[in-house]
Amino acid sequence: MLIDFLPILLHVVVAVGFATVVLVLNIALGRAGKRTKIKDTAYECGVIPEPGPQPRFSVKFYLVAMLFILFDIEVVFMYPWAVVYRDYIAQHGMLIFWSMLSFVIILLFGYAYAVKKGALEWGR
Amino acid sequence: MSTSLAPWIILFAPLVAATLILFFGRYSKPLSAGLAIAAAALGAYLSWTLFLSHEPIEAAKFTWLSLPNFTVEIGVTIDQLSKVMLIVVTNIATLVFIYSIGYMDHEEGYWRYFGGLALFLFSMLGIVLADNLVMMFIFWELVGVSSYILIGHYYSKDSAADACKQAFLVNRIGDFGFMLGILFVWLATGSIVFSEIFAKIPGAQFAGPATLTIGAILLFCGTIGKSAQLPLHVWLPNSMEGPTPVSSLLHAATMVAAGVYMLARIFPLLLTVDIARDVIAWVGGITCVVAALMATQQNDIKRILAYSTISQLGYMVLGAGVAPTADVPMFHLFTHAFFKCLLFLCSGSVILGMHHEQDIWKMGALKNKMPITLLCTLAGLLALAGCPFFSGYFSKDLIIAWAVEEQPILGWLSVFAAGLTSFYMFRLFFVVFFGKPKSDHAKHAHESPAVMVIPLLLLSIPAVIGGYGFIEHPFFPHIEHPHHVPEILHIALLAMFIGGLVLGFLLYFKADKDPLNIPFFANRFYIDDLYAWIVKTFQDGLAWVSAWADRWIVDLILARGTALAAVVFGHVLRCLQIGNIQAYAFFFGAGVVGLLYFLIVR
Amino acid sequence: MIVPYALEISVVCVGIFLLMVDAFLKTDKTTIAWTGVVVLLAIFGLTFALGPMPKGVIPEAFYVLDPTALFFKRFLLLATVLTLILSIDYSPVYQKFVPAAVPQAGLGEFFTLPVFACAGMMFMVSANDFIMIFVALELVTITFYVLVASMRKNQGSLEAGVKYLILGALSTGFLVYGITWLYGITGYTSLDGIQSVLPRVPEQYQPSVLFGLGLVLVALGFKVAAVPFQFWVPDVYQGAPTPVTAYLSVASKAAGFVVLLRVLEPFVTTPTFQVKVFGILTILAAVTLILGNLAAMSQQNLKRLLAYSSIAHAGYLLVAVASLSAPGAKVAIGFYLGGYLLMTFLAFLVLLNVAKVSGGDDIRDFNGLGKRSPVLALALLISMLSLAGLPFTIGFLGKFFIFEAALASGQYVLVVLGAITVACGFYYYLKVVMAMYWQPPAPSATNIQVSPFGQFLIALLVLAIIIFGIFPQPILGALTHL
Repeated sequence: MLIDFLPILLHVVVAVGFATVVLVLNIALGRAGKRTKIKDTAYECGVIPEPGPQPRFSVKFYLVAMLFILFDIEVVFMYPWAVVYRDYIAQHGMLIFWSMLSFVIILLFGYAYAVKKGALEWGR
Repeated sequence: MSTSLAPWIILFAPLVAATLILFFGRYSKPLSAGLAIAAAALGAYLSWTLFLSHEPIEAAKFTWLSLPNFTVEIGVTIDQLSKVMLIVVTNIATLVFIYSIGYMDHEEGYWRYFGGLALFLFSMLGIVLADNLVMMFIFWELVGVSSYILIGHYYSKDSAADACKQAFLVNRIGDFGFMLGILFVWLATGSIVFSEIFAKIPGAQFAGPATLTIGAILLFCGTIGKSAQLPLHVWLPNSMEGPTPVSSLLHAATMVAAGVYMLARIFPLLLTVDIARDVIAWVGGITCVVAALMATQQNDIKRILAYSTISQLGYMVLGAGVAPTADVPMFHLFTHAFFKCLLFLCSGSVILGMHHEQDIWKMGALKNKMPITLLCTLAGLLALAGCPFFSGYFSKDLIIAWAVEEQPILGWLSVFAAGLTSFYMFRLFFVVFFGKPKSDHAKHAHESPAVMVIPLLLLSIPAVIGGYGFIEHPFFPHIEHPHHVPEILHIALLAMFIGGLVLGFLLYFKADKDPLNIPFFANRFYIDDLYAWIVKTFQDGLAWVSAWADRWIVDLILARGTALAAVVFGHVLRCLQIGNIQAYAFFFGAGVVGLLYFLIVR
Repeated sequence: MIVPYALEISVVCVGIFLLMVDAFLKTDKTTIAWTGVVVLLAIFGLTFALGPMPKGVIPEAFYVLDPTALFFKRFLLLATVLTLILSIDYSPVYQKFVPAAVPQAGLGEFFTLPVFACAGMMFMVSANDFIMIFVALELVTITFYVLVASMRKNQGSLEAGVKYLILGALSTGFLVYGITWLYGITGYTSLDGIQSVLPRVPEQYQPSVLFGLGLVLVALGFKVAAVPFQFWVPDVYQGAPTPVTAYLSVASKAAGFVVLLRVLEPFVTTPTFQVKVFGILTILAAVTLILGNLAAMSQQNLKRLLAYSSIAHAGYLLVAVASLSAPGAKVAIGFYLGGYLLMTFLAFLVLLNVAKVSGGDDIRDFNGLGKRSPVLALALLISMLSLAGLPFTIGFLGKFFIFEAALASGQYVLVVLGAITVACGFYYYLKVVMAMYWQPPAPSATNIQVSPFGQFLIALLVLAIIIFGIFPQPILGALTHL
């Protein structure tokens, strides 16, 4: 009976194990050598970094990045589609074409909306 | 086709009217009155068509609820009983609605009043047509609601507001019994549809006859409430706070008779449970005497009629308890509906003529000023008092005869009550119409407008002739007369009528104030005070108990205890609902682990 | 006669159209909402003219049209229409909390997003395949993330949005994870396929099946606000814009329950899994009933009270889910949700109108409402009584059918628990009623005027609650026949 849980146990072991290994590796590798405060600074050259290590990005950046990812990922859908396209047309007809076309058109509306709302304008 | 739809049209026309009045009535007085009257008149017309067509009527049924494992269908019952009741309700309603045009002319809330009346008519017709107990109960409650609305019509008056609350609450007590009764009958027979219940009674009683007896008595509790039988009669006289046409239609002719109608509807069931029948007979018999005694000492014209109504309803209930067919009490219900409605409308006419004065000791000498009202009152009075050859004579004496045969004690008590009826009605008659005018209003009284007088005249006709064979036979073909009535009964009844007349004449013909003073009757046997005392004692007792509990249990144990519990529970809750997203995610994870544990391991 | 999935397609088209109107035309934004209302009502009409599913184009395994699905499509269309109407009422408040670069900024999206959510939920109730369920669910959830957080200058709304996003993402993760396990064992994503394989699952794989199902249950439990996955509910309900709260508590919950029913179908009909699945459902129902009702008793804010009451109602619905072996359980769930739609929207309609004038939605803001606005008070009274389950309201029949199903399947413990918690329910719903009729209004409180259209809507909802409470057959009929 207990053997039935083996897959689940394995799963847990792998998940926990991976996390542990990564954390341990981080400590083991990252702590190499002596660590002082000076050594932890960005350039180790005595110049105190101004204005801090994390520059602030404009929120526009995230917006554009997000739009990019959105449209980029949608394109990924087209690869499997393209792979089966020829066979499918031969067997079932044009449905496969029209479905992708409607998908692209919906995307196009999304694009139009984003442009009109000014999501891609840096200046505003 | 048309006859199968007719019952539904009769039923729903008033509802449609009520809805329209609700939305548009406030813009036009004639519109609201017209809609209500049209719905009632249509109902009356169709009722007569139904009554006169002798072919069997298959009314359309429809599904009330259907779940995959059970289905309840509702439909209407069209038999002799419901046809007669339809005629009574729709015709009287039509006349009262017309009369209301005159009576309510100068009142505020005109559309509210007619909307309420139409709603009432809908609910009442629902009771009449119901083919199962649940549907009857739903409409029974709706009747209660519309009665509440109408009694409270002058809601700014405290007494009216109290009266409508009292009526509603007292009826709830009876209705609770009714509800339990439905449950018991369902337990005993496995059905709530009348025809199926009756079909199952003879052989199979798989929950035993005791269940059925208890069920029948509990159903009768509904009658006690709605038909104002002892000990739940207190609401009916107080409900006279409503406008007089309402008293006439609801609290005399139709609604209060719904209780009796229900008994008639379940009559085949009653026939199988003797104990329940005895209970019914005794409650009815005692009510008819006690209410008549109370009526002899009232001074408000409408209250006299109210106690008289209770007394007459007592006769009908007695009839349901002693007679072998339901037609006997229904016959009295039929005649009573007409003459009592007539009497109330006459009193309304008097009250209007007297500028809303209701104390009979401020009236007097109206005989010349209101001659038509006087004649109509006389017709109703003679019918009620059981004067030979008027309608009440036939129907009431039949019940009394059956009572004498089946339950002699109750029988002779009800004979005595008949004498009292004659006495208190002639008291009212002489004091109001004869003697000297006892106030300024009485000197300047005037006859009512035609729109009120014509319904009076129309109602006088059935009040006078309603008991004769040519009406009795088509309407009540199943009436049976007892075989062993002692000869002396008829003489006694006649003597009672004449005795009441003579006594009333001697005492009250010229009286300026009441020569009799019996506080016990005037104060309604102190029953109202008893209830007030019980309620008060109960409240005080409760207050004392709760004060004690408050001091020793709540403060000592609960306050500390619950305070602690509340703190703990609140604390736990706060711990859980801390608003911190990490914590939520943690609990979520804990929930996942718990769920998986229970699902897989357990 | 039209193909069934034309409904969803047209709803999506409506959404896109409204979005384009918002972006390109300079119309008054409320026109968008009204257009949405009219068109969605027209689509509601189309649901009565559906033909059979055409063969071959979209496999039955993806999209089913049974009475439940059709009933809930109508349900969702009506819920969306009501949400849009509430949103129009709410727009003045909404605009206060949105940065106003241009007049009426953000309103266009506020009115359009519910339409997309509606399309997603309509797919959900027809989905018969885990892929379809997942995609539809995501369309709905992502839309709701945006809607909840859309009042960007209101901290409560933002906080609610973040909480909903994070916990929602967590639960979605569990859903996908559970689906992969089920797919791994059975080799199917379609529920029909899983149904066909389940009886033949070898014994050593049965725990894995339950593990997968458990994870799916977690995600769906999150959707329908079942304890212990309900933590987001009070905070999100309180913070979200009021129409969104109403939409979330009615439509999203209903769609979640339909998916739950579909997912459970193969498992509760397979004897090897039946006992365990019903066991866990019973536990979920019991804890949800207890916690939802107890926690509601101490609430002082009406929106929060309704949130806990929404958990409590999820508890009653779970009682029916745990009684799925009874023939009437599915119909009971549909009927209960139908009633829940009416009374919840009525409550939120009143709440919104009162909060607009009083400026708050604590229960004490409702003090003396009986004097300030008899119409609103009466409407809230009916709604509360129906939520509590008083006879002659739709809420009573809903509970009645559920308890009837529970008795028929032998869930006596849940019935007793349900009866006790109904009593608790009366306590906290009547607290609102008492505030309205027994407490004097605050001195600064003004009378509240309701627009004629608002009055009409209130009258409609009140009548529906009472009429269906007496004569339930129209709803029951729609639930059992196409």
